[in-house]
Amino acid sequence: MASVTLSRITKVYHEHPVLDDISLEVAEGEFMILVGPSGCGKSTLLRMVAGLEEITDGEIRIGGQVVNHLPPRDREIAMVVQDYALYPHMTVAENMSFGLRLRRLPKDEIARRVDEAAGILQIQSLLGRTPRQLSGGQRQRVAIGRAIVRKPKVFLFDEPLSNLDAKLREEMRVEIAKLHQSLGATILYVTHDQVEAMTLGSRLAVMNGGLIQQAGAPAEVFSRPANHFVAGFIGSPTMNFIPGAAAGGGFQSPDLSFKLDGRNSVSGPVVLGVRPEGISVDKAAGEGWSEPVPAVIEVVELLGYKRNLYLKAGDQRLLAVADASFGGKPGDTVSMRFQLDGIHLFDKETKKRL
Amino acid sequence: MAERARAKNVLLHAALVAACIVSVYPMLRMIAVSLRPGDRLLSTDLSLIPAGASLAAYGRVLAETNFLLWLWNSLVITTVTSFIGVSLAATAGYAFSRFRFPGSKLGLTLLLGTQMIPAGMLLLPLFLMIMRLGLVNTYLGMIVAYSVTSLPFSIWILKGYYDTIPRSLEEAALVDGTTRFGAFYRIVLPLSTPALSIAFLFNFTQAWNEYLVARVVLCDASKYTWTLGLFELQGQFLTQWGMFAAGSFLVTIPVLLLFLYSSKWLVSGLTLGGVKG
Repeated sequence: MASVTLSRITKVYHEHPVLDDISLEVAEGEFMILVGPSGCGKSTLLRMVAGLEEITDGEIRIGGQVVNHLPPRDREIAMVVQDYALYPHMTVAENMSFGLRLRRLPKDEIARRVDEAAGILQIQSLLGRTPRQLSGGQRQRVAIGRAIVRKPKVFLFDEPLSNLDAKLREEMRVEIAKLHQSLGATILYVTHDQVEAMTLGSRLAVMNGGLIQQAGAPAEVFSRPANHFVAGFIGSPTMNFIPGAAAGGGFQSPDLSFKLDGRNSVSGPVVLGVRPEGISVDKAAGEGWSEPVPAVIEVVELLGYKRNLYLKAGDQRLLAVADASFGGKPGDTVSMRFQLDGIHLFDKETKKRL
Repeated sequence: MAERARAKNVLLHAALVAACIVSVYPMLRMIAVSLRPGDRLLSTDLSLIPAGASLAAYGRVLAETNFLLWLWNSLVITTVTSFIGVSLAATAGYAFSRFRFPGSKLGLTLLLGTQMIPAGMLLLPLFLMIMRLGLVNTYLGMIVAYSVTSLPFSIWILKGYYDTIPRSLEEAALVDGTTRFGAFYRIVLPLSTPALSIAFLFNFTQAWNEYLVARVVLCDASKYTWTLGLFELQGQFLTQWGMFAAGSFLVTIPVLLLFLYSSKWLVSGLTLGGVKG
């Protein structure tokens, strides 16, 4: 196992900057997620760590050693990619042992490692098959097995679950989490799926536009998003945003206004963010909740254990979450209250957290 | 509807049968002529196995001419040519498929352009080149001449095939521990056997059947390929049609065997299943 240090990484592609001054420290044994929308540069960054992509500027260290100019084979990394990339002309066992055979490990050691990995991933019965005889989920297990047998310093995952259907994806997600626990490996994991990011990572780096917007533990990124983008990207359903102004300890927009607590210092144009869970429609007045604001219910969705309420206050549309037992119907007027410590204020210009 | 479909089917098959006859008939005639006894060579008899059929012509072509030597010469030149041609095309095609370098597009177009020029026009410059290299009347001269003529076609075939192989396979190999060449050699080449065999067959048949270049480059009868050798049988006053036909039949055998052998490599679809889908 080893740490990975990215310092001031820049990538310019055809005079178009793809990554801009990225610095990130991944500790030994850490499960680091790079998450962001497509085109944000997260895969490029991972491929740079792998050595498959040139670095325009900056430095990458694996286990303290600068690897900028090392070819992939000398970086002691293993990679699992979205399309599996299994060698079609080799059996599962040959696929898994390919890297070990290249390194001329003794035969019995190779066999032992392949058996061990196959055991962990429960693919012992598939060892003699070729990739085309496998289902998508099995192929991904083999691809992970091929990474495990190498005992690399760092595992790199590039959207490994994106080609699997929803149920299988959930299953593999848990498998990967278990794998991290049992191997204690350093993992860099790229995904665009914020659920994967939240559930798998010991830390995550939210990327957009070639920049790291915020890096931190999932709970921290969720509860204290550094800017408007992170707030909107992390969390499902998405945070509500209300443009308006803060003044004199209160918030005002054309459609609604209420008092904030403890943020008297903030004033000026802001965007207020509140998660759907932070809006209540059936709460009596109480500590920590704002005064009531009238809203009309537009649509109610029953999700089983809860309901999504699509509300409208003036022209402002909001999503709130209520208990499944909530009885309001579309067209009803309700009093919604905002959970005060769940309110995030962002500067209207810089989009940064205030 | 069924009637029309049936009529269409019959017409289609009639056309196919006619095409088969046109392509197979000359072969059958050749075999028939090779089996005729000496006194009936110019007979207009159409029967496949002529009356008094004999293998005498085969015996004579093997015993009374240098046929086996010519066959050997052809085999050496053609085999070496095919291996060299395919090796060059396999690596060149890879470069054209995977790397961007100045002139990569122009290079491909120029390669295609060379195919538009009739072979006869290249004969003189080719001969001058071989002469300057001091390779006239040598195997090597023939091999040089042949292995470059099929190159453009082979490069295009292989480049096109490589383009269908996902790059992620090579990247996986690079991460697993191969060099760039290792990824090509261990992953891309084994997956390209269908295209490699097509290129090999093309190189082989081109060189095997070639006459003009051989006529110009080779002058010593002991170096003759079978194409030159068989024409030796054409005398000024008398052509040994029986021996000629027997020889022609014998030279098709190696090509036939090669086709049968390589058919198992021509089965494509080997790349299926390596990546998603």
